[in-house]
Amino acid sequence: MTAPGLHHYLVISALLFCLGLFGVIVRRNILIIYMCLELMLNAANLALVSFSRFNNNLDGQVMVFFIITVAAAEVAVGLALIVALYRRRQTTDVHDLTTMKL
Amino acid sequence: MNFSLTYLELAVVALALGLLLLELWTPTALKPKLGYVAAAGLALILGWSFADTIPSESATAFSQMYVRDGLALFFKRFFLMAAILVLIMSVEFSDRIRMGVGEFYVLILFALTGMMFASSANDLIMVFVSLELITISFYVLVSFQRSRMGSLEAGVKYLIMGALSSAFLIFGIALVFGSAGTTNFDGLLQVTKGAADDKVLWLGLLLVLAGLGFKIAAFPFQMWAPDVYQGAPTPVTAFLAVGSKAAGIVLLLRVFLGAVPPVTGQWTKLLMVMAAITILYGNLCAIPQRNLKRLLGYSSIANAGYLLLGLSVLNASGCSAMLYYLAGYLFTLAAAFTVICLVARESDDISSLAGLSQRSPLLAACLTLAMVSLGGIPPLAGFFGKFLLLKSIIEQGPVNPGYYCLAGTALFGVVVSLYYYFGVIRAIYLSKEAPDLTPITVSVPARLSLGVCVIGMFYLGLFPQTALLVAQEAVSALKF
Repeated sequence: MTAPGLHHYLVISALLFCLGLFGVIVRRNILIIYMCLELMLNAANLALVSFSRFNNNLDGQVMVFFIITVAAAEVAVGLALIVALYRRRQTTDVHDLTTMKL
Repeated sequence: MNFSLTYLELAVVALALGLLLLELWTPTALKPKLGYVAAAGLALILGWSFADTIPSESATAFSQMYVRDGLALFFKRFFLMAAILVLIMSVEFSDRIRMGVGEFYVLILFALTGMMFASSANDLIMVFVSLELITISFYVLVSFQRSRMGSLEAGVKYLIMGALSSAFLIFGIALVFGSAGTTNFDGLLQVTKGAADDKVLWLGLLLVLAGLGFKIAAFPFQMWAPDVYQGAPTPVTAFLAVGSKAAGIVLLLRVFLGAVPPVTGQWTKLLMVMAAITILYGNLCAIPQRNLKRLLGYSSIANAGYLLLGLSVLNASGCSAMLYYLAGYLFTLAAAFTVICLVARESDDISSLAGLSQRSPLLAACLTLAMVSLGGIPPLAGFFGKFLLLKSIIEQGPVNPGYYCLAGTALFGVVVSLYYYFGVIRAIYLSKEAPDLTPITVSVPARLSLGVCVIGMFYLGLFPQTALLVAQEAVSALKF
Protein backbone atom coordinates (compact mmCIF):
# COMPACT_ATOMS: atom_id res chain seq x y z
CA MET A 1 0.00 0.00 0.00
CA THR A 2 1.72 3.14 -1.16
CA ALA A 3 1.00 6.59 0.24
CA PRO A 4 -1.30 8.69 -1.96
CA GLY A 5 0.69 10.82 -4.41
CA LEU A 6 0.06 14.16 -6.09
CA HIS A 7 -1.98 12.69 -8.91
CA HIS A 8 -4.42 11.02 -6.48
CA TYR A 9 -5.25 14.38 -5.00
CA LEU A 10 -5.48 15.98 -8.40
CA VAL A 11 -7.88 13.33 -9.68
CA ILE A 12 -10.14 13.89 -6.66
CA SER A 13 -9.94 17.63 -7.16
CA ALA A 14 -10.84 17.31 -10.85
CA LEU A 15 -13.73 14.98 -9.95
CA LEU A 16 -15.04 17.47 -7.41
CA PHE A 17 -14.78 20.28 -9.96
CA CYS A 18 -16.65 18.31 -12.61
CA LEU A 19 -19.27 17.21 -10.08
CA GLY A 20 -19.84 20.83 -9.13
CA LEU A 21 -20.06 21.94 -12.75
CA PHE A 22 -22.47 19.11 -13.51
CA GLY A 23 -24.63 20.15 -10.57
CA VAL A 24 -24.70 23.79 -11.70
CA ILE A 25 -25.88 22.72 -15.13
CA VAL A 26 -28.41 20.07 -14.09
CA ARG A 27 -29.94 21.20 -10.80
CA ARG A 28 -32.84 23.65 -10.74
CA ASN A 29 -32.79 24.86 -7.15
CA ILE A 30 -30.71 28.01 -6.70
CA LEU A 31 -29.48 26.96 -3.25
CA ILE A 32 -28.22 23.63 -4.59
CA ILE A 33 -26.61 25.42 -7.54
CA TYR A 34 -24.88 27.70 -5.07
CA MET A 35 -23.62 24.70 -3.07
CA CYS A 36 -22.26 23.19 -6.27
CA LEU A 37 -20.43 26.44 -7.00
CA GLU A 38 -18.81 26.26 -3.56
CA LEU A 39 -17.82 22.69 -4.36
CA MET A 40 -16.00 23.94 -7.47
CA LEU A 41 -14.12 26.55 -5.41
CA ASN A 42 -13.11 23.91 -2.89
CA ALA A 43 -11.90 21.64 -5.67
CA ALA A 44 -9.51 24.43 -6.60
CA ASN A 45 -8.47 24.76 -2.96
CA LEU A 46 -7.67 21.06 -2.77
CA ALA A 47 -5.59 21.29 -5.94
CA LEU A 48 -3.70 24.30 -4.59
CA VAL A 49 -2.94 22.67 -1.24
CA SER A 50 -1.76 19.43 -2.82
CA PHE A 51 0.46 21.24 -5.34
CA SER A 52 1.80 23.26 -2.45
CA ARG A 53 2.52 20.15 -0.37
CA PHE A 54 4.16 18.12 -3.11
CA ASN A 55 6.15 20.94 -4.71
CA ASN A 56 7.37 22.31 -1.37
CA ASN A 57 6.05 25.77 -2.22
CA LEU A 58 3.97 27.47 0.45
CA ASP A 59 2.50 30.10 -1.92
CA GLY A 60 -0.38 27.79 -2.73
CA GLN A 61 -1.50 27.55 0.88
CA VAL A 62 -1.48 31.33 1.20
CA MET A 63 -3.63 31.55 -1.88
CA VAL A 64 -6.15 29.21 -0.30
CA PHE A 65 -6.63 31.74 2.50
CA PHE A 66 -7.45 34.41 -0.06
CA ILE A 67 -9.92 32.11 -1.76
CA ILE A 68 -11.66 31.13 1.47
CA THR A 69 -12.00 34.77 2.51
CA VAL A 70 -13.37 35.88 -0.84
CA ALA A 71 -15.71 32.89 -1.02
CA ALA A 72 -17.10 33.79 2.41
CA ALA A 73 -17.86 37.33 1.23
CA GLU A 74 -19.44 35.93 -1.92
CA VAL A 75 -21.64 33.55 0.09
CA ALA A 76 -22.78 36.36 2.40
CA VAL A 77 -23.92 38.50 -0.53
CA GLY A 78 -25.27 35.55 -2.49
CA LEU A 79 -27.43 34.11 0.29
CA ALA A 80 -28.82 37.57 1.05
CA LEU A 81 -29.81 37.86 -2.60
CA ILE A 82 -31.44 34.45 -2.65
CA VAL A 83 -33.40 35.30 0.52
CA ALA A 84 -34.55 38.57 -1.07
CA LEU A 85 -35.67 36.65 -4.14
CA TYR A 86 -37.52 34.09 -2.03
CA ARG A 87 -39.37 36.79 -0.09
CA ARG A 88 -40.56 38.33 -3.30
CA ARG A 89 -41.43 35.26 -5.35
CA GLN A 90 -41.71 32.40 -2.81
CA THR A 91 -39.53 30.30 -5.07
CA THR A 92 -35.92 29.21 -5.46
CA ASP A 93 -36.38 27.49 -8.79
CA VAL A 94 -34.42 28.85 -11.73
CA HIS A 95 -37.31 28.01 -14.07
CA ASP A 96 -39.26 30.84 -12.46
CA LEU A 97 -36.61 33.41 -13.37
CA THR A 98 -37.93 34.10 -16.83
CA THR A 99 -39.47 37.56 -16.79
CA MET A 100 -36.80 38.83 -19.16
CA LYS A 101 -37.10 36.94 -22.37
CA LEU A 102 -37.20 38.38 -25.83
CA MET B 1 7.16 47.14 0.40
CA ASN B 2 6.09 50.33 -1.26
CA PHE B 3 2.66 51.49 -0.19
CA SER B 4 3.01 54.92 -1.76
CA LEU B 5 2.66 53.43 -5.24
CA THR B 6 -0.98 52.68 -4.52
CA TYR B 7 -1.86 56.27 -3.63
CA LEU B 8 -4.64 56.53 -6.20
CA GLU B 9 -6.41 53.42 -4.91
CA LEU B 10 -5.90 54.50 -1.31
CA ALA B 11 -7.43 57.87 -2.14
CA VAL B 12 -10.50 56.21 -3.65
CA VAL B 13 -10.91 53.92 -0.62
CA ALA B 14 -10.55 56.89 1.72
CA LEU B 15 -13.16 58.79 -0.30
CA ALA B 16 -15.53 55.82 -0.14
CA LEU B 17 -15.15 55.39 3.63
CA GLY B 18 -15.48 59.14 4.18
CA LEU B 19 -18.65 59.15 2.12
CA LEU B 20 -20.05 56.28 4.15
CA LEU B 21 -19.48 58.32 7.33
CA LEU B 22 -20.80 61.53 5.81
CA GLU B 23 -23.96 59.70 4.80
CA LEU B 24 -24.76 59.08 8.49
CA TRP B 25 -25.09 62.80 9.19
CA THR B 26 -26.77 63.77 5.93
CA PRO B 27 -30.52 64.48 6.04
CA THR B 28 -32.49 62.06 3.85
CA ALA B 29 -33.53 64.75 1.40
CA LEU B 30 -29.91 65.62 0.66
CA LYS B 31 -28.59 62.06 0.37
CA PRO B 32 -28.98 61.81 -3.42
CA LYS B 33 -26.65 64.82 -3.75
CA LEU B 34 -23.82 62.84 -2.14
CA GLY B 35 -23.21 61.47 -5.62
CA TYR B 36 -21.91 64.90 -6.65
CA VAL B 37 -19.54 64.86 -3.67
CA ALA B 38 -18.23 61.48 -4.77
CA ALA B 39 -17.90 62.63 -8.40
CA ALA B 40 -16.07 65.80 -7.33
CA GLY B 41 -13.74 63.74 -5.14
CA LEU B 42 -12.98 61.43 -8.04
CA ALA B 43 -12.39 64.41 -10.32
CA LEU B 44 -9.76 65.65 -7.84
CA ILE B 45 -8.13 62.20 -7.77
CA LEU B 46 -8.19 62.11 -11.57
CA GLY B 47 -6.47 65.50 -11.60
CA TRP B 48 -3.94 64.21 -9.08
CA SER B 49 -3.11 61.29 -11.36
CA PHE B 50 -1.96 63.79 -13.99
CA ALA B 51 0.36 65.47 -11.49
CA ASP B 52 3.04 62.82 -11.85
CA THR B 53 4.58 61.73 -15.09
CA ILE B 54 4.06 58.34 -16.69
CA PRO B 55 6.75 56.11 -15.23
CA SER B 56 9.15 54.87 -17.88
CA GLU B 57 10.34 52.09 -15.57
CA SER B 58 7.70 49.92 -13.94
CA ALA B 59 7.78 49.83 -10.15
CA THR B 60 6.32 47.03 -8.04
CA ALA B 61 4.86 46.77 -4.56
CA PHE B 62 3.53 44.01 -2.27
CA SER B 63 6.24 41.52 -3.22
CA GLN B 64 5.76 42.16 -6.94
CA MET B 65 2.02 41.60 -6.87
CA TYR B 66 1.25 45.19 -7.80
CA VAL B 67 2.90 46.95 -10.70
CA ARG B 68 2.76 50.59 -11.63
CA ASP B 69 3.52 51.40 -15.25
CA GLY B 70 2.08 53.31 -18.19
CA LEU B 71 -0.62 50.73 -18.91
CA ALA B 72 -1.82 50.75 -15.30
CA LEU B 73 -1.94 54.54 -15.23
CA PHE B 74 -3.88 54.70 -18.51
CA PHE B 75 -6.52 52.31 -17.21
CA LYS B 76 -6.71 53.99 -13.81
CA ARG B 77 -7.57 57.29 -15.50
CA PHE B 78 -10.04 55.45 -17.72
CA PHE B 79 -11.82 53.88 -14.73
CA LEU B 80 -11.86 57.16 -12.78
CA MET B 81 -13.43 58.93 -15.76
CA ALA B 82 -16.00 56.15 -16.15
CA ALA B 83 -16.90 56.27 -12.46
CA ILE B 84 -17.37 60.06 -12.52
CA LEU B 85 -19.80 59.82 -15.44
CA VAL B 86 -21.63 56.91 -13.82
CA LEU B 87 -21.95 58.75 -10.50
CA ILE B 88 -23.50 61.78 -12.17
CA MET B 89 -25.87 59.41 -13.96
CA SER B 90 -26.69 57.78 -10.60
CA VAL B 91 -27.77 61.09 -9.09
CA GLU B 92 -30.29 61.44 -11.93
CA PHE B 93 -31.39 57.90 -11.21
CA SER B 94 -31.54 58.26 -7.41
CA ASP B 95 -35.30 58.96 -7.25
CA ARG B 96 -35.84 55.38 -8.40
CA ILE B 97 -33.72 53.87 -5.62
CA ARG B 98 -35.98 53.39 -2.64
CA MET B 99 -33.38 53.14 0.11
CA GLY B 100 -29.64 53.19 0.61
CA VAL B 101 -28.70 55.80 -1.99
CA GLY B 102 -25.51 56.60 -0.08
CA GLU B 103 -24.43 52.96 -0.11
CA PHE B 104 -25.16 52.83 -3.84
CA TYR B 105 -22.51 55.49 -4.48
CA VAL B 106 -20.07 53.86 -2.06
CA LEU B 107 -20.42 50.48 -3.77
CA ILE B 108 -19.62 52.14 -7.09
CA LEU B 109 -16.44 53.47 -5.50
CA PHE B 110 -15.53 50.02 -4.14
CA ALA B 111 -16.03 48.45 -7.55
CA LEU B 112 -13.85 51.25 -8.94
CA THR B 113 -11.11 50.36 -6.42
CA GLY B 114 -11.23 46.77 -7.65
CA MET B 115 -10.88 47.92 -11.25
CA MET B 116 -7.92 50.15 -10.38
CA PHE B 117 -6.17 47.29 -8.59
CA ALA B 118 -6.94 45.03 -11.54
CA SER B 119 -5.16 47.42 -13.89
CA SER B 120 -2.03 47.03 -11.76
CA ALA B 121 -2.21 43.27 -11.26
CA ASN B 122 1.12 41.51 -11.61
CA ASP B 123 0.21 38.22 -10.00
CA LEU B 124 -2.63 35.76 -10.49
CA ILE B 125 -3.68 36.15 -6.84
CA MET B 126 -4.04 39.88 -7.44
CA VAL B 127 -6.10 39.12 -10.56
CA PHE B 128 -8.47 36.97 -8.53
CA VAL B 129 -8.84 39.29 -5.55
CA SER B 130 -9.37 42.45 -7.60
CA LEU B 131 -11.84 40.72 -9.91
CA GLU B 132 -13.81 39.49 -6.92
CA LEU B 133 -13.86 42.98 -5.41
CA ILE B 134 -15.42 44.19 -8.65
CA THR B 135 -17.83 41.28 -9.00
CA ILE B 136 -19.10 41.17 -5.42
CA SER B 137 -19.75 44.92 -5.47
CA PHE B 138 -21.66 44.40 -8.70
CA TYR B 139 -23.81 41.60 -7.23
CA VAL B 140 -25.22 44.14 -4.80
CA LEU B 141 -25.39 46.97 -7.33
CA VAL B 142 -27.23 44.92 -9.97
CA SER B 143 -29.92 43.85 -7.50
CA PHE B 144 -30.13 47.22 -5.77
CA GLN B 145 -33.76 47.89 -6.76
CA ARG B 146 -34.94 45.00 -4.62
CA SER B 147 -38.60 45.92 -5.03
CA ARG B 148 -38.37 45.43 -8.79
CA MET B 149 -38.44 41.84 -9.95
CA GLY B 150 -36.24 42.47 -12.99
CA SER B 151 -33.43 43.82 -10.85
CA LEU B 152 -33.53 40.88 -8.43
CA GLU B 153 -33.67 38.37 -11.24
CA ALA B 154 -30.70 40.01 -12.95
CA GLY B 155 -28.86 39.98 -9.62
CA VAL B 156 -29.37 36.24 -9.10
CA LYS B 157 -28.36 35.47 -12.69
CA TYR B 158 -25.24 37.59 -12.36
CA LEU B 159 -24.48 35.92 -9.03
CA ILE B 160 -24.60 32.41 -10.45
CA MET B 161 -22.70 33.21 -13.63
CA GLY B 162 -20.19 35.37 -11.76
CA ALA B 163 -19.51 32.65 -9.18
CA LEU B 164 -19.17 30.10 -11.97
CA SER B 165 -16.62 32.27 -13.74
CA SER B 166 -14.65 32.73 -10.50
CA ALA B 167 -14.62 28.97 -10.04
CA PHE B 168 -13.17 28.53 -13.54
CA LEU B 169 -10.64 31.26 -12.91
CA ILE B 170 -9.53 29.81 -9.59
CA PHE B 171 -9.20 26.27 -10.86
CA GLY B 172 -7.20 27.61 -13.77
CA ILE B 173 -4.93 29.53 -11.41
CA ALA B 174 -4.44 26.36 -9.33
CA LEU B 175 -3.34 24.41 -12.41
CA VAL B 176 -1.02 27.21 -13.56
CA PHE B 177 0.49 27.36 -10.10
CA GLY B 178 0.95 23.60 -10.07
CA SER B 179 2.71 23.37 -13.40
CA ALA B 180 4.70 26.60 -13.34
CA GLY B 181 5.40 26.75 -9.60
CA THR B 182 4.66 30.47 -9.48
CA THR B 183 1.76 32.84 -9.95
CA ASN B 184 3.85 35.94 -10.49
CA PHE B 185 3.72 37.32 -14.04
CA ASP B 186 7.48 37.87 -14.26
CA GLY B 187 8.03 34.32 -13.07
CA LEU B 188 5.46 32.95 -15.52
CA LEU B 189 7.20 34.79 -18.37
CA GLN B 190 10.48 33.07 -17.47
CA VAL B 191 8.81 29.66 -17.24
CA THR B 192 6.84 29.91 -20.49
CA LYS B 193 9.89 31.15 -22.38
CA GLY B 194 11.52 27.84 -21.50
CA ALA B 195 8.65 25.41 -22.11
CA ALA B 196 5.48 26.75 -23.68
CA ASP B 197 3.78 23.43 -24.40
CA ASP B 198 3.08 22.01 -20.94
CA LYS B 199 -0.44 20.59 -21.21
CA VAL B 200 -1.40 21.25 -17.57
CA LEU B 201 -0.31 24.86 -17.98
CA TRP B 202 -2.38 25.10 -21.16
CA LEU B 203 -5.47 23.73 -19.46
CA GLY B 204 -4.97 26.17 -16.58
CA LEU B 205 -4.59 29.13 -18.90
CA LEU B 206 -7.61 28.01 -20.90
CA LEU B 207 -9.69 28.09 -17.70
CA VAL B 208 -8.28 31.53 -16.87
CA LEU B 209 -9.29 32.66 -20.37
CA ALA B 210 -12.79 31.30 -19.70
CA GLY B 211 -13.00 33.17 -16.39
CA LEU B 212 -11.93 36.45 -18.00
CA GLY B 213 -14.14 35.76 -21.03
CA PHE B 214 -17.15 35.83 -18.71
CA LYS B 215 -16.17 39.29 -17.54
CA ILE B 216 -15.95 40.79 -21.01
CA ALA B 217 -18.97 38.74 -22.20
CA ALA B 218 -17.19 37.00 -25.06
CA PHE B 219 -18.61 33.93 -26.79
CA PRO B 220 -19.22 31.23 -25.42
CA PHE B 221 -19.50 32.94 -22.03
CA GLN B 222 -21.90 35.70 -23.05
CA MET B 223 -25.29 34.32 -22.02
CA TRP B 224 -25.62 36.39 -18.85
CA ALA B 225 -25.04 39.77 -20.50
CA PRO B 226 -28.45 40.59 -22.09
CA ASP B 227 -30.53 39.63 -19.03
CA VAL B 228 -28.25 41.38 -16.54
CA TYR B 229 -27.94 44.50 -18.68
CA GLN B 230 -31.71 44.67 -19.01
CA GLY B 231 -32.55 44.10 -15.36
CA ALA B 232 -29.85 46.13 -13.61
CA PRO B 233 -30.42 49.79 -12.68
CA THR B 234 -29.34 51.91 -15.68
CA PRO B 235 -26.18 53.47 -14.14
CA VAL B 236 -25.05 50.01 -13.04
CA THR B 237 -25.59 48.71 -16.58
CA ALA B 238 -23.40 51.54 -17.84
CA PHE B 239 -20.67 50.75 -15.31
CA LEU B 240 -20.87 47.03 -16.15
CA ALA B 241 -20.64 47.75 -19.85
CA VAL B 242 -17.69 50.11 -19.57
CA GLY B 243 -15.84 49.45 -16.31
CA SER B 244 -16.24 45.73 -15.85
CA LYS B 245 -15.49 45.04 -19.50
CA ALA B 246 -12.39 47.24 -19.49
CA ALA B 247 -11.19 45.50 -16.32
CA GLY B 248 -11.54 42.15 -18.11
CA ILE B 249 -9.64 43.56 -21.09
CA VAL B 250 -6.74 44.93 -19.03
CA LEU B 251 -6.44 41.57 -17.25
CA LEU B 252 -6.47 39.73 -20.59
CA LEU B 253 -3.65 42.02 -21.74
CA ARG B 254 -1.71 41.54 -18.51
CA VAL B 255 -2.05 37.75 -18.41
CA PHE B 256 -1.97 36.75 -22.05
CA LEU B 257 0.41 39.37 -23.46
CA GLY B 258 2.34 40.32 -20.34
CA ALA B 259 2.82 36.97 -18.58
CA VAL B 260 2.47 34.12 -21.08
CA PRO B 261 3.00 35.49 -24.62
CA PRO B 262 4.77 32.28 -25.79
CA VAL B 263 1.59 30.29 -25.07
CA THR B 264 -0.74 32.93 -26.46
CA GLY B 265 1.34 32.92 -29.64
CA GLN B 266 0.13 29.36 -30.27
CA TRP B 267 -3.47 30.29 -29.53
CA THR B 268 -4.08 32.86 -32.25
CA LYS B 269 -6.58 30.58 -34.03
CA LEU B 270 -8.61 30.17 -30.84
CA LEU B 271 -8.68 33.92 -30.23
CA MET B 272 -9.63 34.62 -33.86
CA VAL B 273 -12.53 32.16 -33.76
CA MET B 274 -13.68 33.56 -30.43
CA ALA B 275 -13.60 37.12 -31.78
CA ALA B 276 -15.44 36.22 -34.99
CA ILE B 277 -18.25 34.29 -33.30
CA THR B 278 -18.63 36.95 -30.60
CA ILE B 279 -19.05 39.65 -33.26
CA LEU B 280 -21.56 37.63 -35.26
CA TYR B 281 -23.54 36.51 -32.21
CA GLY B 282 -23.79 39.97 -30.66
CA ASN B 283 -24.78 41.73 -33.85
CA LEU B 284 -27.23 39.15 -35.17
CA CYS B 285 -29.03 38.69 -31.85
CA ALA B 286 -29.35 42.46 -31.39
CA ILE B 287 -31.51 42.84 -34.52
CA PRO B 288 -34.92 41.76 -33.12
CA GLN B 289 -34.50 43.47 -29.71
CA ARG B 290 -37.08 46.04 -28.63
CA ASN B 291 -35.66 46.81 -25.20
CA LEU B 292 -32.99 49.52 -25.31
CA LYS B 293 -30.85 48.14 -22.50
CA ARG B 294 -31.08 44.60 -23.85
CA LEU B 295 -30.12 45.92 -27.28
CA LEU B 296 -27.07 47.60 -25.77
CA GLY B 297 -26.34 44.32 -23.95
CA TYR B 298 -26.07 42.48 -27.26
CA SER B 299 -24.16 45.39 -28.73
CA SER B 300 -21.70 45.14 -25.85
CA ILE B 301 -21.16 41.45 -26.71
CA ALA B 302 -20.38 42.51 -30.28
CA ASN B 303 -17.99 45.16 -28.95
CA ALA B 304 -16.21 42.53 -26.84
CA GLY B 305 -15.65 40.75 -30.14
CA TYR B 306 -14.16 43.86 -31.77
CA LEU B 307 -11.86 44.27 -28.77
CA LEU B 308 -10.73 40.63 -29.07
CA LEU B 309 -9.65 41.42 -32.66
CA GLY B 310 -6.94 43.61 -31.18
CA LEU B 311 -5.86 40.83 -28.82
CA SER B 312 -5.73 38.19 -31.54
CA VAL B 313 -2.95 39.94 -33.49
CA LEU B 314 -0.63 39.90 -30.44
CA ASN B 315 1.27 43.03 -31.31
CA ALA B 316 1.59 46.61 -30.14
CA SER B 317 -0.56 48.14 -32.88
CA GLY B 318 -3.45 45.80 -32.05
CA CYS B 319 -3.24 46.61 -28.36
CA SER B 320 -3.03 50.37 -28.80
CA ALA B 321 -6.07 50.08 -31.09
CA MET B 322 -7.88 48.26 -28.28
CA LEU B 323 -7.07 51.02 -25.80
CA TYR B 324 -8.19 53.66 -28.28
CA TYR B 325 -11.41 51.78 -28.97
CA LEU B 326 -12.12 51.47 -25.24
CA ALA B 327 -11.66 55.21 -24.74
CA GLY B 328 -14.16 55.96 -27.50
CA TYR B 329 -16.51 53.29 -26.15
CA LEU B 330 -16.44 54.92 -22.70
CA PHE B 331 -17.69 58.31 -23.93
CA THR B 332 -20.18 56.78 -26.36
CA LEU B 333 -21.81 54.44 -23.87
CA ALA B 334 -21.81 57.02 -21.07
CA ALA B 335 -23.71 59.40 -23.35
CA ALA B 336 -26.19 56.70 -24.42
CA PHE B 337 -26.90 55.50 -20.89
CA THR B 338 -27.22 59.02 -19.47
CA VAL B 339 -29.93 59.73 -22.03
CA ILE B 340 -31.67 56.40 -21.35
CA CYS B 341 -31.50 57.14 -17.62
CA LEU B 342 -33.21 60.51 -18.14
CA VAL B 343 -35.79 59.47 -20.72
CA ALA B 344 -36.84 55.87 -20.12
CA ARG B 345 -38.49 56.18 -16.73
CA GLU B 346 -41.34 53.67 -16.95
CA SER B 347 -40.05 51.19 -19.51
CA ASP B 348 -36.85 50.72 -21.44
CA ASP B 349 -38.67 49.95 -24.65
CA ILE B 350 -37.44 51.65 -27.79
CA SER B 351 -40.94 53.13 -28.24
CA SER B 352 -40.38 55.25 -25.10
CA LEU B 353 -37.98 57.32 -27.22
CA ALA B 354 -40.87 58.46 -29.45
CA GLY B 355 -41.07 62.22 -29.65
CA LEU B 356 -37.75 62.70 -27.90
CA SER B 357 -36.65 65.17 -30.58
CA GLN B 358 -39.49 67.45 -29.42
CA ARG B 359 -39.24 66.71 -25.71
CA SER B 360 -35.54 67.50 -25.55
CA PRO B 361 -33.54 68.20 -28.70
CA LEU B 362 -30.33 68.06 -26.65
CA LEU B 363 -30.91 64.50 -25.44
CA ALA B 364 -32.10 63.43 -28.87
CA ALA B 365 -28.90 64.77 -30.43
CA CYS B 366 -26.70 63.12 -27.79
CA LEU B 367 -28.31 59.70 -28.21
CA THR B 368 -28.10 60.02 -31.99
CA LEU B 369 -24.41 60.86 -31.80
CA ALA B 370 -23.84 57.90 -29.48
CA MET B 371 -25.62 55.52 -31.86
CA VAL B 372 -23.72 56.90 -34.86
CA SER B 373 -20.46 56.44 -32.97
CA LEU B 374 -21.37 52.88 -31.93
CA GLY B 375 -22.24 52.15 -35.55
CA GLY B 376 -18.77 53.29 -36.57
CA ILE B 377 -19.53 56.20 -38.84
CA PRO B 378 -16.98 59.00 -39.29
CA PRO B 379 -16.13 61.46 -37.84
CA LEU B 380 -16.92 60.04 -34.38
CA ALA B 381 -14.77 58.04 -32.00
CA GLY B 382 -16.29 54.66 -32.84
CA PHE B 383 -15.24 54.96 -36.47
CA PHE B 384 -11.59 55.54 -35.78
CA GLY B 385 -11.47 52.82 -33.13
CA LYS B 386 -12.90 50.25 -35.53
CA PHE B 387 -10.63 51.53 -38.30
CA LEU B 388 -7.52 51.04 -36.15
CA LEU B 389 -8.57 47.55 -35.09
CA LEU B 390 -9.29 46.49 -38.69
CA LYS B 391 -6.04 48.05 -39.85
CA SER B 392 -4.07 46.10 -37.26
CA ILE B 393 -5.56 42.76 -38.33
CA ILE B 394 -5.30 43.44 -42.05
CA GLU B 395 -1.62 44.27 -41.57
CA GLN B 396 -1.22 40.73 -40.23
CA GLY B 397 -3.01 39.28 -43.27
CA PRO B 398 0.16 38.35 -45.20
CA VAL B 399 1.34 36.28 -42.20
CA ASN B 400 -1.90 34.35 -41.80
CA PRO B 401 -4.70 34.64 -44.40
CA GLY B 402 -7.19 33.86 -41.64
CA TYR B 403 -6.94 37.49 -40.61
CA TYR B 404 -8.56 38.54 -43.91
CA CYS B 405 -11.57 36.32 -43.09
CA LEU B 406 -11.66 37.86 -39.62
CA ALA B 407 -11.63 41.37 -41.09
CA GLY B 408 -14.46 40.38 -43.45
CA THR B 409 -16.49 39.05 -40.52
CA ALA B 410 -15.90 42.24 -38.55
CA LEU B 411 -16.99 44.38 -41.52
CA PHE B 412 -20.12 42.26 -41.94
CA GLY B 413 -20.83 42.78 -38.24
CA VAL B 414 -20.45 46.54 -38.60
CA VAL B 415 -22.90 46.61 -41.52
CA VAL B 416 -25.45 44.55 -39.58
CA SER B 417 -25.07 46.77 -36.53
CA LEU B 418 -25.93 49.87 -38.57
CA TYR B 419 -29.42 48.43 -39.01
CA TYR B 420 -30.31 48.26 -35.34
CA TYR B 421 -28.48 51.41 -34.30
CA PHE B 422 -30.44 53.31 -36.93
CA GLY B 423 -33.61 51.69 -35.63
CA VAL B 424 -33.02 53.64 -32.42
CA ILE B 425 -32.42 56.89 -34.31
CA ARG B 426 -35.58 56.29 -36.33
CA ALA B 427 -37.55 55.92 -33.09
CA ILE B 428 -36.21 59.27 -31.87
CA TYR B 429 -36.99 61.34 -34.95
CA LEU B 430 -39.54 59.56 -37.12
CA SER B 431 -41.85 57.82 -34.68
CA LYS B 432 -45.41 59.06 -35.25
CA GLU B 433 -47.18 57.96 -32.08
CA ALA B 434 -45.79 60.06 -29.24
CA PRO B 435 -48.13 59.82 -26.24
CA ASP B 436 -46.19 62.11 -23.95
CA LEU B 437 -44.66 65.34 -25.17
CA THR B 438 -43.76 66.97 -21.84
CA PRO B 439 -40.32 68.56 -22.07
CA ILE B 440 -37.54 66.89 -20.09
CA THR B 441 -35.45 69.13 -17.87
CA VAL B 442 -31.78 68.19 -17.75
CA SER B 443 -29.83 69.21 -14.66
CA VAL B 444 -26.57 71.15 -15.00
CA PRO B 445 -24.23 68.28 -13.94
CA ALA B 446 -25.98 65.95 -16.40
CA ARG B 447 -25.53 68.56 -19.12
CA LEU B 448 -21.85 68.79 -18.19
CA SER B 449 -21.32 65.05 -18.34
CA LEU B 450 -23.16 64.83 -21.68
CA GLY B 451 -20.98 67.67 -22.91
CA VAL B 452 -17.84 65.84 -21.86
CA CYS B 453 -19.05 62.71 -23.64
CA VAL B 454 -19.85 64.56 -26.87
CA ILE B 455 -16.53 66.41 -26.82
CA GLY B 456 -14.78 63.12 -26.13
CA MET B 457 -16.50 61.43 -29.08
CA PHE B 458 -15.64 64.24 -31.48
CA TYR B 459 -12.12 64.74 -30.18
CA LEU B 460 -11.21 61.06 -30.49
CA GLY B 461 -12.78 60.94 -33.94
CA LEU B 462 -11.30 64.14 -35.37
CA PHE B 463 -7.89 64.40 -33.69
CA PRO B 464 -6.79 60.81 -33.17
CA GLN B 465 -3.03 61.48 -33.11
CA THR B 466 -2.69 62.63 -29.50
CA ALA B 467 -4.87 59.90 -28.05
CA LEU B 468 -3.19 57.28 -30.18
CA LEU B 469 0.21 58.40 -28.91
CA VAL B 470 -1.04 58.07 -25.33
CA ALA B 471 -2.35 54.57 -26.10
CA GLN B 472 0.92 53.54 -27.73
CA GLU B 473 2.90 54.85 -24.78
CA ALA B 474 0.67 52.86 -22.41
CA VAL B 475 1.04 49.68 -24.43
CA SER B 476 4.82 49.98 -24.50
CA ALA B 477 4.72 48.77 -20.88
CA LEU B 478 3.87 45.29 -22.19
CA LYS B 479 7.27 44.89 -23.94
CA PHE B 480 6.48 43.01 -27.13
